[in-house]
Amino acid sequence: MTGDDTETDLTRPIEQLIRRGAIHRDVYCDPAVFDREMTHIFDRTWVFLAHESEIPSPGDYKTTTIGRHPVIVNRNDEGEIGAFINRCRHRGPTVCRNELGNAKFFRCPYHAWTYNNAGELVGVPMPQGYGADFDKSRLGLVHVARVASYAGFIFGSMSAHGPTLEDHLGGVRKFLDAYVATSPTGEIGVYKGYQKCVYSGNWKFQLENGVDPYHVGALHASAVTPEALAIYRQGKGAVIAMDGHGVTDHTDWGPMPVDASLSGGFNLVIFPNLIVLRSQIRTVRPIAVDRTEIITSVVKLKGVDEAVNLQRMRDQEFEFGAAGTFFADDLDIFERTQQGLNSSAVDWLEFSRGLDREEMRNGYMHGFMSDETQHRGMYANWMAMMTAATPGIAEAAE
Amino acid sequence: MADLRHDIETALYREAHLLDSGEFNAWYELFLPEAIYWVPAGSGDYDPNEHVSIIHDDMTMLKKRIDRLYSGHAYAQIPASRTHRAITNVEVEDEGDGVVNVRCVMMLVELARHRQTLYPARVTYRLHRAGDNWRIGYKKVSLLMSDEPLPAAAFLF
Ligand code: FES
Ligand SMILES: [Fe+2]
Repeated sequence: MTGDDTETDLTRPIEQLIRRGAIHRDVYCDPAVFDREMTHIFDRTWVFLAHESEIPSPGDYKTTTIGRHPVIVNRNDEGEIGAFINRCRHRGPTVCRNELGNAKFFRCPYHAWTYNNAGELVGVPMPQGYGADFDKSRLGLVHVARVASYAGFIFGSMSAHGPTLEDHLGGVRKFLDAYVATSPTGEIGVYKGYQKCVYSGNWKFQLENGVDPYHVGALHASAVTPEALAIYRQGKGAVIAMDGHGVTDHTDWGPMPVDASLSGGFNLVIFPNLIVLRSQIRTVRPIAVDRTEIITSVVKLKGVDEAVNLQRMRDQEFEFGAAGTFFADDLDIFERTQQGLNSSAVDWLEFSRGLDREEMRNGYMHGFMSDETQHRGMYANWMAMMTAATPGIAEAAE
Repeated sequence: MADLRHDIETALYREAHLLDSGEFNAWYELFLPEAIYWVPAGSGDYDPNEHVSIIHDDMTMLKKRIDRLYSGHAYAQIPASRTHRAITNVEVEDEGDGVVNVRCVMMLVELARHRQTLYPARVTYRLHRAGDNWRIGYKKVSLLMSDEPLPAAAFLF
């Protein structure tokens, strides 16, 4: 079964929602567009699930989501990473509702069907009630079709088809390599716990904002230091549309700083749900067309003085999270943006900054530091996914 | 003991009043220089050097946080959140030498962006007597929603 193009309730055809240097408000406001994003993007491409250091040992698990699907990502007894739909194959409850933990088995509380940490159904009470064709081997937890890691970042794809993770990441791989190489041992970890935020606005506001140097001097005037602002205003570095992802590259200003200060380095928005910048791994969870959650881990570097790592976390807490001196203003502007876009009096948003001065370098379109080249690249990718016939996820369930 | 409890409740109400009326600099003056203002994330108790928090400010950070609110550019706080906080279930443990540990429940209601948000919390303090007043050596605000995704919360807890 394929799940394509059955939506009839789009206010405006997808193809008409983006034009050169402009995006239509329906991209952020039409619930039918959101539905289609769930099937054509989140059910299909590689979605970030966890960093390997969140589940370091055999049996460790984390629960998260892929689009609308509750997901368990874990290690089995052999330490191999897998991911499953968090849903009992009997009548449907989630089998795990802790955020993190360690388990050999997941037992559904309803009738006690029990799955091992490789997802196999290993226990059914009173099995004599089922007929001869009842086959436990067909009723394991449904696997996320593909699971793969790059540089310790674990991704899952609901589709058995499509590019490999490496191809999906494309040029961004070298930035992920560089991010991990900030650690002298080449290893990063995360502090326990998450910064969890929510806003009443579309998920793509956060993707745009994760690679948006243009706003830093304005929205964050109360939080950014004069030194950092001066460097931003010089306009050095570049914004890059890289294989459908967004990059702001400040490395001409300095490598990714060990202290994660606002100097040098880069920001990555890995479409559709991962943001890596400074000491943060941010996961974007679309909840509804106008509701989004952001779950952030704080990264520590192995082989670095504990005081340096601790300062990374203290700075992160001060500036980000719901009470952060930077991020509270981002969360607030996302809500204001949704309020403004809810007006149908104006159809189009301007995304034309730098159109006349961007240029191809090394195979990727580069813009000046304050430009919107990276956003245009992400939306070209968005359009390609939204208009492609999708194989759907039926194969995942066999 | 009844008098001490009354003194402490009076001090807590005064602190709540300063926050609810936007007198953040006067509120800041309640803290001792080495104090910590902590809003943990997640459930349960933990070492804030091992686990990320919602807020973990020393007094230099808290001063910067407050100055930002007065900068005219803290856009999530323009207009400023309006808050009412009710302080209840106050328990006082006298350590002697003018130091008390206090536990209470705070019902904080914030009005922002035309929405009321309820932030119930268990608050613990270490308070130090300073003449007729009490100074804050430590304030920890354990939100009931500490493990939930929170909306922009740039106001002070
Ligand atoms: S619904 Fe899970 S065991 Fe019945
Ligand atoms: Fe921002």
